[in-house]
Amino acid sequence: MLTRQRRPAAAVGHMTVDDGPLPSASPAAKPKVFTIRNLTKVFGDEQPYLALDGIDLTIRSGEFLCLLGASGCGKSTLLNLLAGFEKPTSGELLYRGREIAGPSKERVVFFQDAGAALLPWQTVQQNVEFGLRLQGLLFSERHQRAEECLELVGLAEHRHKMPSEISGGMRQRLQIARALAVDPDVFLMDEPFGALDAISRRRMHGALLDIWQRTQRTIVFVTHDILEALVLADRIAVMSAGPGSRIAHLAAIGLDRPRQPGDPRLGRHFEELEQFLHTTAPSA
Amino acid sequence: MTSISGLGSTTERSGAAEMRRRPRLTARWRARLRRTGLVLVSLTLGLLAWEAISLLIFGPFLIPPPQAVVRAFIPMSASGELVHDIAMSLSRVFVGYAAGGTFALILGLFMGRIRLLHDLADPILEFMRFLSPTAMIPIVVIWFGIGEVAKYSLVFWGTIFSVLISTIAGVLRTPRIRQNAALCLGASEAQIFRLIVLPSAVPYIVVGLRLALASAFISIIPAELLAADSGLGYLLQQSSLLQQTDRIFVALVMICAIGFCADRLFQFIVSTLLRRYLAVT
Repeated sequence: MLTRQRRPAAAVGHMTVDDGPLPSASPAAKPKVFTIRNLTKVFGDEQPYLALDGIDLTIRSGEFLCLLGASGCGKSTLLNLLAGFEKPTSGELLYRGREIAGPSKERVVFFQDAGAALLPWQTVQQNVEFGLRLQGLLFSERHQRAEECLELVGLAEHRHKMPSEISGGMRQRLQIARALAVDPDVFLMDEPFGALDAISRRRMHGALLDIWQRTQRTIVFVTHDILEALVLADRIAVMSAGPGSRIAHLAAIGLDRPRQPGDPRLGRHFEELEQFLHTTAPSA
Repeated sequence: MTSISGLGSTTERSGAAEMRRRPRLTARWRARLRRTGLVLVSLTLGLLAWEAISLLIFGPFLIPPPQAVVRAFIPMSASGELVHDIAMSLSRVFVGYAAGGTFALILGLFMGRIRLLHDLADPILEFMRFLSPTAMIPIVVIWFGIGEVAKYSLVFWGTIFSVLISTIAGVLRTPRIRQNAALCLGASEAQIFRLIVLPSAVPYIVVGLRLALASAFISIIPAELLAADSGLGYLLQQSSLLQQTDRIFVALVMICAIGFCADRLFQFIVSTLLRRYLAVT
């Protein structure tokens, strides 16, 4: 099962960054990964809080989509729904045409607090093997697979260290390696680089784009940082502030990568997006 | 003024440079020596104070001085009676602690994981934990007599509450996102429990077990005072009836010594076997 699905890391490893898929020239041709129609999420029974109100969004295979919004607007709620940690109150939420019943290793979530998400009592290598161990893979198989994944994120030489002995950026790369090992279809990333310093953060953007282009996963990336979204995304969905948050604006960013933060074309997008962030923030 | 502060900072800097040049091992050994030295000074001061209080204030009958205690200790240990009493007390502590610790650990894991069980059992525990082992002695004697089972159950009682409370806390405080991350890597409920929750709770469980170990030693003495024919508590009781204060002090010092050694042994075992689970996240 795993062998069939697996896109061998070694086989794609020789590709350079330029060989990767361009920001979908004809996105409509790609199969839909997520179909979200009129999605509503209400929290609590006694004092109901309307978090999401009428979200419509389609995310296609291989796409890098950023969910952009102010703190507390419901970006993470939407991500948790996509992961299957939460159930929608009403509306339609499909993953590859089927309703999402619960968490699945098809859709792996990345957390900002990698230290809490990883297993601090296991080495870097054992952390990567964790998902494979859950599936009952033999030691030799999972060892080799883990080494490929560590190689891919550039952590191979740190494999015997404990998570507490590596930097925050490396812990995020370790989370990515751990996810790659179980061969997921989608990366759901919840402000994964929010706690990193500016330099590690830029480096992680490069690393993530590289991995994305080499492995051709679909990525949904939550952030409140406009520039981060602009540097990374094919499309940016701006969410209005809660309660009753919805998609206020959907922007396609058709620029080539790697994108320089100082690029004036990014600047124009920046103004456009900021407008939507600001007009929607305080009104609710 | 400026020149003084300037001078001060220069010395500090050269001092720091010197520290850096010195091999690290030496610095560590110096720290260790210093600690050992302080312990020795502390013990010496304690003995001197004991001697002074004994001779100058209360007199050697009420508080026998250290040398009198040593004099009483030698025949007691030579005849084997002391060893026998210590062995009896230790075996009771061991059985009661092992049984109570295991029981509370397992119950605590389930109570932390199963909401309904927690909500049903927690009020009872919260209510009953104010019953000290001493308070349970009269009824335990009626239930079990003065045999070993009575001692085991009193130590058991003294052990379970701190282990239970800390185990439940450890399970409940397992980071939610660690469990969620495991869920989307394909973990089943049972795998999450075994591979995520249990290891995450280890630091809490260790604290509970350590507190419970002290509590087990504290529980056994009153049990032996009131209903026993052997053990350190029995030794205390008999010596008190015969007004042998030096023998009482031998027993008291022994209680401190074996408790201390047991705690050190516990810490050694934990830091050897469970080191990786205790690392800060």
